[in-house]
Amino acid sequence: MSPMITINRQAWDLMVAHAEATFPNECCGAMLGNIDGDVKSVTQAVAIENSYTGAQGARYELRPEDLLEADRKARAAGLDLIGIFHSHPDCDSYFSKTDLENSCPWYSFVVLSIKGGKFDHANSFLPNAEQTDAPKEELIWPKS
Amino acid sequence: MAKVLIPTPLRQFADKKDSVELTGATVAEVLGALTTQFPSLKKQLFTDEGKLRSFVNVYLNDEDIRYLQKDATPVAATDTLSIVPSIAGGAQ
Repeated sequence: MSPMITINRQAWDLMVAHAEATFPNECCGAMLGNIDGDVKSVTQAVAIENSYTGAQGARYELRPEDLLEADRKARAAGLDLIGIFHSHPDCDSYFSKTDLENSCPWYSFVVLSIKGGKFDHANSFLPNAEQTDAPKEELIWPKS
Repeated sequence: MAKVLIPTPLRQFADKKDSVELTGATVAEVLGALTTQFPSLKKQLFTDEGKLRSFVNVYLNDEDIRYLQKDATPVAATDTLSIVPSIAGGAQ
């Protein structure tokens, strides 16, 4: 079976709302849920402050301590930290060179394209350990 | 023994455990004990030269060891070590 990530309504709504509210800057956050083989199920999303110190229109950075806090929250809820999300304002959802060079191979990376302040589309990527490639995985989100 | 919390994606390399109790007087000794017990974790955490991968941060309780004594930071039996990646990016 190919890798796949599904996101439930509650988590998805938070991710989109955070991305739209942060527009025209990039947002970021963590995705919590469970893993069953190649299938990841996101049941909770956590909005995290973009800590990049320069212009945030095309950059984001997660403080490791914020990620540690998200991991603690996941453990306390009996969930796993399984992915990271961020937005691309007025850009398509792709995994850029900057995304790749600052990625980690352990998690799914969901990129939300926000155009004109509204959600447009999204993809999920699985970067490798060498930070040289990030193939897509199937992403399923609740369509309204 | 100190506790090491294993991130979800790395549990497949650690007998599916979410945490491991290990003996060691310093961070280097505890991480050494971790990769001795679970050799396939080594490639995930360290480069071929034996240095922590660039995106790997280690926290002793709430403190990043880079701001303590790095891998020479003393570890007490009541301490918890967390492995936390650095993550950033952007459209351009």
